[in-house]
Amino acid sequence: MGEFTLGRYMPLDSPIHRMDPRAKIMAMLLCLIAIFIPAGWIGYGVMFVVISGVILRAGLSFRFVWKSMKPMMIMMIFLFIMNCVVLRTGDVLFTVFGISIYKEAVLQTLYIVVRLLLMVMITTCLTATTKPLDMTLGIEDLLKPFERIHVPAHEIAMLISIALRFIPDLIEETQRIMKAQESRGVDLKEGSLKEKIMAILSLIVPLFVSAFQRAEDLANAMEARGYAPGEPRTRYKVLKMTTADWLLIGCAALLLAAMIVLARMA
Amino acid sequence: MSITFENVSYIYSEGTPFRYEALSEINLEIEEGKMTAVIGETGSGKSTLVQHLNALLLPTKGTVHILGRTIEAGTQPKGLKSLRGDAGLVFQFPEYQLFEETVIKDIAFGPKNFGISEEEALKRARNAMKLVGLDEQYEERSPLELSGGQKRRVAIAGILAMDPKVLVLDEPTAGLDPMSTVRMMELFRKLNKEHGKTVLIVTHDMEQVFRYCDNVIVVEHGRIRTQSSVSEFFRDSSVCRGMNILPPAMIRMRDLLNENGFDIADTVMDTEALVNAVERQVKRHG
Repeated sequence: MGEFTLGRYMPLDSPIHRMDPRAKIMAMLLCLIAIFIPAGWIGYGVMFVVISGVILRAGLSFRFVWKSMKPMMIMMIFLFIMNCVVLRTGDVLFTVFGISIYKEAVLQTLYIVVRLLLMVMITTCLTATTKPLDMTLGIEDLLKPFERIHVPAHEIAMLISIALRFIPDLIEETQRIMKAQESRGVDLKEGSLKEKIMAILSLIVPLFVSAFQRAEDLANAMEARGYAPGEPRTRYKVLKMTTADWLLIGCAALLLAAMIVLARMA
Repeated sequence: MSITFENVSYIYSEGTPFRYEALSEINLEIEEGKMTAVIGETGSGKSTLVQHLNALLLPTKGTVHILGRTIEAGTQPKGLKSLRGDAGLVFQFPEYQLFEETVIKDIAFGPKNFGISEEEALKRARNAMKLVGLDEQYEERSPLELSGGQKRRVAIAGILAMDPKVLVLDEPTAGLDPMSTVRMMELFRKLNKEHGKTVLIVTHDMEQVFRYCDNVIVVEHGRIRTQSSVSEFFRDSSVCRGMNILPPAMIRMRDLLNENGFDIADTVMDTEALVNAVERQVKRHG
């Protein structure tokens, strides 16, 4: 668990950390769209430099970002090899074991890999600098306009924050039940298939029982404090956009525009 | 034979920023055949300590000797599974480990895991049910629809059915009503006295320590503060008051009487002896 950094919040204090989550989410969306515009290597170069700047400004190390990418590495390598072998357009670059590798295929695949890397970098910028709860507040606000077409913005945000809040609890609960069952002779590593199924059952059933119990307790506790979904509520933390936030969105929009221009020129 | 801990340390998440030393250099001797209480504040390391007894946790440093087995830090000990059968560990709020369709099946789950035949396991399960005071009508009920106290008894029966030589209980009476608490403690005493089981019980209740246990171990900040017999421990109440432990009511009563002019010896350790001592002194003055 300690090594897993993808999507983890880094409690630092930087100008990026202090920005409005709505601005950060909007900027991230714009950047993600920009990635998918085929602006060539110059475009990706520009994106890389800009995003690297943001990462440094947020006080994050490249080592941290690199660690976030690690879980995706195997997938990327797999993707790279598959694409190189399967795509058959353009000039033949070289041939190994009777399989021709085409120049176009390699280029195309490299584009995909670079896009994926940039995507991880961008989303890391957001998740590492924004507390999960601030993120849900931001999502709720951004979904507000869609309430007119019956998107339950507040409920979605509440759902996300409750889910996030219960992750550590459930991990702890799982470990507790595992230990309790191990004390009853359950062997989670060895044993026949039937024994393994029993072992998993002995873990899942109590976990579900306690999760439902927790859900009920939480629902009661919320109702006892007068919570009613759909009712207008005030907030303890009021988000406020500053000039820097608008600037961030502006810059992201500019980046997107630049990509479109580059793509047109190419 | 006894259960011994030699210089045992346990460190959570060693080598990360979350490193936490839960036990440091513990030396301990737990007498077999006795009922021993483990007391200490929340977070003092009691639970970490008792999880070493069935090798759920292996020491980071040091050695644990239990029931003829040696568990040494840094080695992968053999025969762990049989140790889990011999040293039955009942966790806090054990009712959360129930999962089978019927009470009897859930109780028989443990023994079956240790290679005991279905028939024998069911026999043991029935015995265990009798021990914890659940009658036959509960056998085919779903454990999930019982009351909290009944669930707790089913869970404890599930460990008893494994017929462990050492029974380790982590706060077994937490959240039970007073009546069930007394019944539970009587059961543990019976298992200790009549069935010869070594009982180790983690508790916050000094009345339980005083009334039921032979020995007491005080854990503080991952170290053993004191280890003694219960009568020794409560004899001079200033000792346990010094550890921020409120002595049991009977000892407090004795202290109050002494503060107000009585002269009762510190060897007076039960209510009857206290009443007699008071009676004698009143008569002498009367």
